[in-house]
Amino acid sequence: MSEPSASQAGRGCRIEAQDLVRRFGDHVALDAVSLGVEPGETFGLLGANGAGKTTFIRLLTGYLVPSAGSVRVDGLSPIRDARAVHARMGFAAETSRIYPELRVRGFLRFAAGARGLAGRDREAAVERTLARFSLEHVASRIVGNLSKGFQQRVSLAQAFLHDPPLLIVDEPTSGLDPLQREEIRAQLAEARGRRTVVLCTHDLAEARALADRVAVLRAGRLVALGATEDVLGADDPLALFRPGDEATA
Amino acid sequence: MTALRALIRKEAAVLFGSPVAYLTLAMVGIVTALVFFDHLRVYNQTLFVWSSSTMGGFETDTIPDYINLRVLVFLPVMEQLALMLIGLVPLVTMRVFAEERARGTDELLITTQLSSGRIVAGKFIVAYGLVALMLAVSFVYPATSIVTAGLGLRHLAAVYTGLLALGLGIASIGLACSAFTSSQLVAAVSAYAIAFVLYDFTWATQFLAEQPALASFLDQLSMHPRFGGFAEGLVAVPDMVYFAGLGAVSFGLAWLSLDLERVR
Repeated sequence: MSEPSASQAGRGCRIEAQDLVRRFGDHVALDAVSLGVEPGETFGLLGANGAGKTTFIRLLTGYLVPSAGSVRVDGLSPIRDARAVHARMGFAAETSRIYPELRVRGFLRFAAGARGLAGRDREAAVERTLARFSLEHVASRIVGNLSKGFQQRVSLAQAFLHDPPLLIVDEPTSGLDPLQREEIRAQLAEARGRRTVVLCTHDLAEARALADRVAVLRAGRLVALGATEDVLGADDPLALFRPGDEATA
Repeated sequence: MTALRALIRKEAAVLFGSPVAYLTLAMVGIVTALVFFDHLRVYNQTLFVWSSSTMGGFETDTIPDYINLRVLVFLPVMEQLALMLIGLVPLVTMRVFAEERARGTDELLITTQLSSGRIVAGKFIVAYGLVALMLAVSFVYPATSIVTAGLGLRHLAAVYTGLLALGLGIASIGLACSAFTSSQLVAAVSAYAIAFVLYDFTWATQFLAEQPALASFLDQLSMHPRFGGFAEGLVAVPDMVYFAGLGAVSFGLAWLSLDLERVR
């Protein structure tokens, strides 16, 4: 896979979450979470299903508004400064969050255009990304007809189109076979140090392989935060995921 | 504008990437042809019966006023085209926002340079474009009727302005309904319900004989009397304002629903 072209990524973005709370009715999905992510860091956000990982990601992307507290990307609010934050951000959700009717090249053209790239810049970004993710041979195929692994690759590729300094990936290898997982992980590993990556996963092996630091969420609360080897190096790291006494970090 | 153009292209590609748009356009062509030729058959039969019964000729000055293409063909065809729009347009609009929400791709959209307002604008533009295309497909038979009946192109333009306004009004209702749900079925059913109720309040006004003000208000809200003026060849500013208002309210509601989703 080829190298990316001239980068706007630099060393990435700084993220700061302060007493972040998100409620859905009576249910508290995220409870006073405070954490920071440094530029260039690959940060793993871990937790069991329903722990609050996706809610955190949605607050970070500006898809949801916090009930209390704040989250900042380079000091900017994803709600009030949405365009500036989104210009810095590439977001890849799970496989199904793409348009199955479109062809791969058409989908990437749309994603590039929606991020403000036009004309030659857009075409260059699309071709570069197709090459980078080894998608040239499927560029004319309809996304919905591709295997799940290729669909996930397309989903991840669109997040790289504008060469963002911040990459947010939600369960990038969920449901993929081991070979496909390795391909996706290789792409994420390539971004290390060059951009900030927020990796949302419940796969400990993935976090160990990619993340510099991790945070563990349980029932919406932050129960561990630190270097990956410190947090996941314990005898029984799964204890952090099990329901129980919610000791904060 | 680059992001909006990209969204419009994507919406059009998604719309024409599924059979729904083609089936809808084909339905418009088939239904318009059936309705038109059926009314033409009735016109010819009436003319033949009158001619046979009176031993009269076919010279126009001897044919009674009630046997003419405008009354027997053109106006009923237009009326049925309007009903056809209510039947078909919600089938197209039901997926526009609901599918995006159900797939989770709305989350992808919101992380681009597209604001909620631009997302709504892009989707409205493409849906409006399809309604215009539907009317273009239906154009040939009424146009033949107009030209043959000698009613003139200005009348045709007025009628199609009315049909377009009505179609865009129904599309706006459908789009607003789609914006409030992730279920295409709920979007379609609610759009049908609102469009049919709003189409004509005659059924309600007959129960409101003692409340003429309310009856008059409901009549003002109805789409059918507004469309009726266009069908007669009149393009009235209040009718245009009514349909523009319907579009504006629906646009605002769709925008509101996208923003409410973020604070729900």
